[in-house]
Amino acid sequence: MSLSRRSLIAKVGATLAGVLAAPVARTAKAAVQKILVSTGAARGYDPTKHKWVMAIDANRCIGCGLCAEACKKENHVPEGPYYRTWIERYIITKPRPGSGVARGETLVDCPEGGMHGFPEPTVPKEEIQHSFFVPKLCNLCEHSPCVQVCPVGATFDAPDGAVLIDPKYCIGCGFCIQACPYGCRFLNPVTKTAEKCTLCYHRITRGLKPACVEVCPTQSRVFGDLKNPVPDDPIQHFYENNKVQALKPHLGTEPRVFYAGIDKEVR
Amino acid sequence: MEEKRPLGEDFNASDSENAETTADNERLASNQKGWRPVNKMPPQVLRLFLLAFGIVVSYSIARYFLTPPSFRQYGWFRGEAITELQAREPVFAGKKACEECHSDEMAKLLKHEHKTLSCEGCHGPGQAHADNPDVKIGQQNYSPCVRCHEANPSRPKWHKQIVLKNHYTGSKCTECHVPHAPSEVP
Repeated sequence: MSLSRRSLIAKVGATLAGVLAAPVARTAKAAVQKILVSTGAARGYDPTKHKWVMAIDANRCIGCGLCAEACKKENHVPEGPYYRTWIERYIITKPRPGSGVARGETLVDCPEGGMHGFPEPTVPKEEIQHSFFVPKLCNLCEHSPCVQVCPVGATFDAPDGAVLIDPKYCIGCGFCIQACPYGCRFLNPVTKTAEKCTLCYHRITRGLKPACVEVCPTQSRVFGDLKNPVPDDPIQHFYENNKVQALKPHLGTEPRVFYAGIDKEVR
Repeated sequence: MEEKRPLGEDFNASDSENAETTADNERLASNQKGWRPVNKMPPQVLRLFLLAFGIVVSYSIARYFLTPPSFRQYGWFRGEAITELQAREPVFAGKKACEECHSDEMAKLLKHEHKTLSCEGCHGPGQAHADNPDVKIGQQNYSPCVRCHEANPSRPKWHKQIVLKNHYTGSKCTECHVPHAPSEVP
């Protein structure tokens, strides 16, 4: 291939221009991004060095609703039917005599997310076979359907196991709300973005417990860090003393919220 | 039928021959006029390629400038969002913060059945009070005793429960019970 003087000069010039343009582009990029993002000061919390887990012992839950109320206060969740955590009451009735089934109907209710306790059930006491409370929250899935469906990368699995939402990226399309098999998400009517339990991310990164765990009077909710076990670890105690299960295991979401003392009727 | 076939064949043959010759003539003529040869890229295809190239280049430039620096720090999301979510201030201070000033009450509480209770469960959120003791801690309007101890068939059997209307008709549980030491009598 022969090069004329003109084409050689042009090629050398273009390469030089390219080399010189790179730092200019980089500074321009930095300037643009300074406008776009505010760099929050790092707090010295390394998400790769933790793995949070929540365990719930339904045998201990008395349905007082302190957790649901504390969650609303702690996270400034708007008034109305919006809950990051809530309590469900399961009532399984006795079967009709001679009907040939072991259990009757399953009735679930959750007045105001259980925030102010539960009224007397509508079913008379004699007809109840088994009744219990189930606190619910984000199940912290290992394979989260909500993360898979987010079209803008706003919801994500943090390296410490929390499933979080970037409120600046969320466009409020609601795909994740439909995708969550546990019904843990809602659209915040004020910010118009999706919202859910963050495990009180601002608390756990400061070394505090999530608000619901903090106020639970019976230690029905247990919270821990699998990567930094404390002496006399409550999570290990939970596993030692209970038969543990997760909700909807057939979906393959592998939740990191575990339950003890719930019937198969709980979904 | 037999008569018509050769006729048709003749007609078809002559027609195709005519068509070929006219096509050849046209091609020759167009070449002489300076039209592009058939093996060169037609201009409309070239324009499509240029358009696609332009779109890719402008997308790459926009992506280069608009992707936040922390975007792939931990994964397919803005790593900075993690720091931003940590920024919210707590409302509940936690039992340790209460103990800093109220260690005597705490010591009493820990000796009795209510040892697992959080201070803020009954007294309300206390971060504002912990930051500045002059700020009074909020009172709950819902009676904290009845909230847990009213009888309900869904509550576990081990939990102490009362039917309020049969148990007491006054308004102060503390007349007979000490909340921080339930087994004691005032």
